[in-house]
Amino acid sequence: MNGAARPTQAAVRRDIGFFEWFFSADTWWGNNGILESLRETVVLCAAVTLVAVVLSVPVASVLAHLRRAELSTTWLVSISRAVPTFAIAALLVPWSLRSGRGFEPIPIFTALLLLALVPIYLNTYTAIRQVPEGAVDAARALGETELSILTRVELALAASLVFAGVRVAAIQVVATEPIRAFLGGDGLGRYVRDGIGQSNNTLVVGGIVLIGGLAALTGLAFVVLERLVLPNGVRRLARQQGKRTT
Amino acid sequence: MAVSLLAQARNPIIRWEWIIEEWHQIQSAIFEHLRLTVLAMLLGLVVSAGLAAIALRYRWTLTPITATTSLIYTLPSVALFALLAPVFGNLSLYTAVLPLAGYTLLILVTNIVAGFQAVPPSVRDAAEGMGFGPARRIWTVDLPLALPFIVTGIRIATVSTVGMVTVAAIIGQGGLGRLIFSGLRRAFWTPMTVGASLSIILALLLDALILGVGVLLTPWARRRRATS
Repeated sequence: MNGAARPTQAAVRRDIGFFEWFFSADTWWGNNGILESLRETVVLCAAVTLVAVVLSVPVASVLAHLRRAELSTTWLVSISRAVPTFAIAALLVPWSLRSGRGFEPIPIFTALLLLALVPIYLNTYTAIRQVPEGAVDAARALGETELSILTRVELALAASLVFAGVRVAAIQVVATEPIRAFLGGDGLGRYVRDGIGQSNNTLVVGGIVLIGGLAALTGLAFVVLERLVLPNGVRRLARQQGKRTT
Repeated sequence: MAVSLLAQARNPIIRWEWIIEEWHQIQSAIFEHLRLTVLAMLLGLVVSAGLAAIALRYRWTLTPITATTSLIYTLPSVALFALLAPVFGNLSLYTAVLPLAGYTLLILVTNIVAGFQAVPPSVRDAAEGMGFGPARRIWTVDLPLALPFIVTGIRIATVSTVGMVTVAAIIGQGGLGRLIFSGLRRAFWTPMTVGASLSIILALLLDALILGVGVLLTPWARRRRATS
């Protein structure tokens, strides 16, 4: 539980075929089953994305509203694709263990959070800056307070792009989370890890299918969620803006 | 990885004597890290240059090329390294270099295309008016003007590749990533800390190096900055 790595390696026959393994009930249920790993991965990724949204969106929207921090935002664009998630997590593991907090969740959580913060911040910032000035001026002329302009005009019109940022962040988090299995944790990455360790290609392929599948599903889930949550008008506006800018 | 809690708690984060004693190991890890980074970047650049040339010549291909490279970019790194391991074998160079190069494509293609598109049409017309053929115009007029964009792309791609190389350690490669794993297995934190921090330092150094080369290659940009 805390500290020592759990001996969770599933003993799987080496000659088992992929389909036989993937479609047997034992593979999915139980303590070492796929469902348990899936739960671990989804819980961590959802928590990371949620915290990233809570931290990024308010900061980015206030700064964009005040037209501040433009330079540091362009600087963020260039580092956004270069966050060394694995190195950050690895640096934090010894510290976390020595202070009695175990392999998880602090190192992997922090590393994934740094990865997720950037796209959400950037999308929120640029989205709010793209809001037509006429709309903001009109709201101001109607006597709306700055806070209400920010939340009810700017954020409302920017919602679609903010959503896109959250989607990109979530996909990146899901795609990167499997490194956790190589840093003393579990999650879906464990099938790749155990497969490599036991030279069992069935497990490796199974892990790849599961990780890739979850990443694809995450993208899809956000498309559906956007349809459910955002009003049609906002989405149509975003499409028009997209056409105009590209 | 069955290590006692006691050992984990007792080992210091960093033991400086180890770094001196095992310097040759650290050195070879740095070289392997650099070698994988450079090979992946070279392969990525060649492929990106080709893709960018196609996208610039036939505009309709830009969307599918961008879509494909972004798809590659979002592929889970652990899965991609593991995917090629059974094909080429764990220790084959292809297993590590191909995914690494694949991840650079999106950034490089986007920046190369943006660079060439940013060349002012008037400059292009002037070059043609002076009798430059297409090949000579691209090499001596378009390419230098596109260089700042391309250099930025190379910087971002290099920094992200250095970070990604550590993940290649899951298939037994990955230079400094191997140090991280050997430390983790023995609950001996020094190699782990050294490997992780050196990979970050290496990324920053390469970034500064490429930035410097870019400034040297585009002296006119510096002059303009100085006068304005």
